[in-house]
Amino acid sequence: MRIACPFCGERENGEFTYLGDASPKRPNFAVDSGESPGGVEDAFYDYVYLRDNVAGYMREYWYHGGGCRSWLIAERNTVTHEFRSVTAAPGVGAAKPVQAGE
Amino acid sequence: MVDYLWNTQSPLQKALVPGRHGAAGAHAGVTLNEVRDIVLVQVMARRGKAAETGKAAKKLFGVEAPATPKAVIGKTATLIWSGPDQFTVIAPRTDEASQLAAMAQVFAGSASLSDQSDGRCLIRVSGPRGRDAIAKFSSLDLHDLAFPVGAAANTSVDHTAVNLWREANGADGHPVYNMLVFTSFSDSLWHTIVDSSLEYGVEAASARAA
Ligand SMILES: [Zn+2]
Repeated sequence: MRIACPFCGERENGEFTYLGDASPKRPNFAVDSGESPGGVEDAFYDYVYLRDNVAGYMREYWYHGGGCRSWLIAERNTVTHEFRSVTAAPGVGAAKPVQAGE
Repeated sequence: MVDYLWNTQSPLQKALVPGRHGAAGAHAGVTLNEVRDIVLVQVMARRGKAAETGKAAKKLFGVEAPATPKAVIGKTATLIWSGPDQFTVIAPRTDEASQLAAMAQVFAGSASLSDQSDGRCLIRVSGPRGRDAIAKFSSLDLHDLAFPVGAAANTSVDHTAVNLWREANGADGHPVYNMLVFTSFSDSLWHTIVDSSLEYGVEAASARAA
């Protein structure tokens, strides 16, 4: 299996590490349900433990540790191992301007 | 009580046996050099400062910093891409303190610098069969079309991080590849390259960076 890093080009999969589903978003206490602590707890339970077992295309985090050391988001078909796209994860490199509070 | 000598020495002090190894013949197929006395600095642009970092590089070295996996030859150093908004500056060691000071001054506020001069070992592979030797342990495509002069790559060799780049062809017209490796892994990589080169005949030596 070869993976096309958006920075390095196509490389053998041994240079990459798989992290998992890139879809879960960390719940935000103030935004999600500040007035309902139980709701936040449920959201965190989902975020930390519950994963879909997708048969088909899935957005995944991959780390090019054996190359440019960038976090990537890949769309991979879990049935065929076909990679549809590989892009940089948010925050890779220095291009992103400083966020408030960072 | 043991007397310690705090002399610096090459990480290849033991592994590098100068001279001819492997297949005999009029010409060695592979020429292997440890390039000593280098100054090596990792430059990482700070958040939102990629453009400023590029300008600073241009000011000091007279060339644009590489934005893609390439090695660019500047006035006093070669700049090798090492990741998004990162590159490695490599230069022959002249006056290390002033070389580092010049960089610290020009990149102040735009990039973070990390001195790697004694942390990496530079191995140069050349000769008519150099590419064939590398092909045995690297998964990169080193064909002229895929990896021309000036191409660079961060890659793994035997699970070890290696920065590999191709410089101008040697006087013999054959490709010249440079491999930067952590000093503690250089011994192992050196043996791997020598073993891969034996069937072609290999001439090993060390040289001062120039
Ligand atoms: Zn990469």
